[in-house]
Amino acid sequence: MSRISHIEINNFTSFSRLEQDFSPGVNILIGENGTGKTHLLKILYAACAITAGEDKEKSYALKLRNVFNPYEGRMGRLSRRQASSIKTKVIVTRQGGAKLAAEFSNHTNKPEDVKVTGEAGWQKEELTSAYIPVKEMLAHAPGFLATAAKREIAFEEVYIDIIKRAFLPRLMGSTDANRQRLLTALQKAIDGKVVAKGEHFFLKNKQGDLEFTLLAEGMRKLALVWLLIQNGTLLSGSVLFWDEPEANLNPALMGEVVEVILELQRLGVQVFLSTHNYVLLKEFDLRKQKGDAISYLALFRDDSGAVVCNASDSYLGVHPNAIANTFNHLYDRELQRSLGGLKA
Amino acid sequence: MTVLVEKDLQVTLPATVSGRKFDDETAHGLSHCMKAVDFIIELEDRVLFVEFKDPENPKAHAKDREAFIRKFLSGQIDTDLKTKYRDSWLYEWAQGRAEKPITYLVLLGASTLSGADLLARTEALKRQLPVAGPGDQPWKQAFVAGCAVMNLAAWNKALPQFPVSRVRS
Repeated sequence: MSRISHIEINNFTSFSRLEQDFSPGVNILIGENGTGKTHLLKILYAACAITAGEDKEKSYALKLRNVFNPYEGRMGRLSRRQASSIKTKVIVTRQGGAKLAAEFSNHTNKPEDVKVTGEAGWQKEELTSAYIPVKEMLAHAPGFLATAAKREIAFEEVYIDIIKRAFLPRLMGSTDANRQRLLTALQKAIDGKVVAKGEHFFLKNKQGDLEFTLLAEGMRKLALVWLLIQNGTLLSGSVLFWDEPEANLNPALMGEVVEVILELQRLGVQVFLSTHNYVLLKEFDLRKQKGDAISYLALFRDDSGAVVCNASDSYLGVHPNAIANTFNHLYDRELQRSLGGLKA
Repeated sequence: MTVLVEKDLQVTLPATVSGRKFDDETAHGLSHCMKAVDFIIELEDRVLFVEFKDPENPKAHAKDREAFIRKFLSGQIDTDLKTKYRDSWLYEWAQGRAEKPITYLVLLGASTLSGADLLARTEALKRQLPVAGPGDQPWKQAFVAGCAVMNLAAWNKALPQFPVSRVRS
């Protein structure tokens, strides 16, 4: 399957103009709050989502609206805010050259009024994907889908989608050695397997069945990844979007999470993740092996306030590195305190 | 002006400051049973114990360099660093010289270490020495005023009055 290779964004939310190539492996988005990391993940996820399953019925514009959930569902609210009228355009490109574009203005209200091009060709080839949001959702699964279907809650569609993907049945047939190795590693980390009874998820281990509400949030996230691998959502050629994998996770578990992400990439899964976490970044730097394809994308605001991106293939080449800069500042202050007043 | 050299690294002291090589078998005389920091520098109001670790020494093999950095980041050399400090302090105290507050400076010839790495190692060394006494209360008689783990760039930024450099540069 052809992965996502490029994006071009004009005047979308905080982006003025952005053109960026992506790695077929792991793409790590770094940047301060409000630099559009999650927005970028959602733009790409919406493009993948409409190629498979029930979302195939949706247009790219509708999926974009649903994952962003703007006020009153108005598309124009996704345009970059400025005093005058503005044209917004997003173009996502896949390996092989297929392009999907959405074009609208800040005055556009309905998704039907968005000019979408390339959709038929884009949807010909399925691109299975999963978007893991910052908030853990499996524990809230009971009743959530029914409530969401009645439009009684204002959740972005990524939350609904991830629960639906978690409910997918186990992939039929035998599990190949690589996937089994990943599943076993995750089972070790979460100390059990995940089972679903109706709309309730449980962690099954020697102690019995533990309901998800009794588990630490970090554990629930690892359990979710286990489910997505087990049910075949994350297979070679699929795309994983993971917003802040570090959220609610003990730093000691970060190494295992990074190892799982790298292994998925080695199996052929394209990964996009956003992070604020130094330990996660450093784990990638230390665990990266020859042949691993990792791209670090540093998002930051230029002098005009527009978000721009610097890409690097190595951790040390990341610039600006908002996470490292924070530590450098702390270290400088620590040295000042430890060595304060030291004169010749 | 005094220049203190340890293999490929050197620190230059201004004329008003005296410093000596401490980890010297002959002058120390007890190397068989006590560890020693590399240098002791006398300032007007305090004393600096200085230890150099140099994985980037041009003579070092790449493999050893990586092994050292891993050992350092995992805290495995903390025991070595703290023992060097404590033995040196005991030596100086028993010789009647530990009168001024002592600051412990560890210089690493490792340019790739980030602020986060150096901050983590500085905090770990503070806990290991330890800087604070039982119950996290100050010692009644402080035996270490402070400590810092730095690489060359951090050292020269924080302590421009005592520049460090490579001997060959």
